[in-house]
Amino acid sequence: MRIQHIKELYDYRNLIWVLAWTDFKERYKNSVLGFFWSLLEPLLMLAILYIVFSNLMKVQVEHYQLFLLQGIIMWSFFTRSTSGSLYAFKLKAQLVKKVYFPRDILVISSCITALLMSFFESIIFLAFLLFFMIPLSLNILYLPIVIFLYFIIALGTSLVLSALNVYYRDIQYIWALVLQVGFFATPVIYPLNVFPQYLQKILSYNPLAQVIFLGRDVTLYSKEPNLASFVFVIFIAVITLVIGYAIFLRLEPRFAEEL
Amino acid sequence: MAVIEVEHLDKVFRIPHEKRNTLFETLTGLLRPPVYETFHALKDINFTVDEGEMFGIIGENGSGKSTLLKIISRILVPTRGSVIARKSITPFLELGVGFNPDFTAAENVRIYGIIMGLTPRDINGKMDDILEFAGISQFRDTKLRNFSSGMQVRLAFSTAIQTNPQVLLLDEVLAVGDQEFQKKCLDELERFKREGVTIIFVSHDLESVKKHCVRTLLLNHGVQVMVGDTQEVVGRYEDVE
Repeated sequence: MRIQHIKELYDYRNLIWVLAWTDFKERYKNSVLGFFWSLLEPLLMLAILYIVFSNLMKVQVEHYQLFLLQGIIMWSFFTRSTSGSLYAFKLKAQLVKKVYFPRDILVISSCITALLMSFFESIIFLAFLLFFMIPLSLNILYLPIVIFLYFIIALGTSLVLSALNVYYRDIQYIWALVLQVGFFATPVIYPLNVFPQYLQKILSYNPLAQVIFLGRDVTLYSKEPNLASFVFVIFIAVITLVIGYAIFLRLEPRFAEEL
Repeated sequence: MAVIEVEHLDKVFRIPHEKRNTLFETLTGLLRPPVYETFHALKDINFTVDEGEMFGIIGENGSGKSTLLKIISRILVPTRGSVIARKSITPFLELGVGFNPDFTAAENVRIYGIIMGLTPRDINGKMDDILEFAGISQFRDTKLRNFSSGMQVRLAFSTAIQTNPQVLLLDEVLAVGDQEFQKKCLDELERFKREGVTIIFVSHDLESVKKHCVRTLLLNHGVQVMVGDTQEVVGRYEDVE
């Protein structure tokens, strides 16, 4: 049954792509600055956080701008993919009620849209890397794997959220709250070692923290990824996807009636 | 050979008395089980559609015609019974699903075409034909929001007919547009019929049903009143009225 589902998704690959791409395009369609809006947002966030944390809080991190920027870009991917998916069925209710397609396509395409935006933002990161002449190593070849695992985690989470949001309207408010807490519970703006030992231990169980560590290791620090983190993240990715699909497939048959 | 087999099909909609829309309401309401009103939309429907046949479905508003089409096209799941489809199904339940007013005519054709199951290559090859058939060749790069509703429907129909359907489900879509466009639509329908496409045709227009369909199903409040020769079924329907 699972193999069949993957085959069906493959048959619908054009639809997945066209939905992701049109969402990406639509976001900037009516703005004067067009695509540059999406670059302005993380830059502004970077500037503010940089000023606050390097001057007021005196964070001692080498290449703090890059540390921060990579954190912001990676965190935004999770926020955007999950929030985008939350509204996927509400916004495309007409599609769900009038045409058949595997329903998870809408969630997958929302996550791809978020990924496209992150790739686009990474242009700034690349420019920063060049500007500060950060040497890269072959370890950057691990990056696609890290991104893939991160995508799977975001997809699994989004499947649960999007399906629940069809039935319960307050999921979106609860999730907004969770994301706000998550932003501070994930080492986006600070390095883990600012905390006492016991807090570090707790925070390192946050899967997103581990993903961001892996991301920073293989790019910014040109290190080999930490094996323990890698195994942990793979484990979490598999678990999230399995649970995500289990819940989604249970709720999905009545989407067209509930919307 | 039967392309579609509908067996003992039942559809029951559950309409809760008080709708619990939030997680909070559901959690606080766990102790009181929800009370549902049930609406039996389809009761024990049985029929088959043969390959290359044009099959009609008639009945008053609310008799379950659209629900039946939605179950056949897998948008809704049946409560009991089954639908076996041996060929891929193309539903025309509504034209222009997924149209986006902020995109140009050509962009919308691309999106809608893919929703209807065309490949990007098909669409690129047929783009000029589609725009010409809709009569809007000169507005290729105009945003859809500037089109009249008639133009939008024409554009949607021109795109939809480019699909190579094996089984086509038609739900009153021909009831839109002016006389000239309706004639064009019926011509396309004739072409599909000649090419051996199996068609399920839902309509209130009894004349069209009599003209095109050999066999017809009559529904009344979700019950299958009669299925068989169109002349007899339509006669029965007119008697009841």
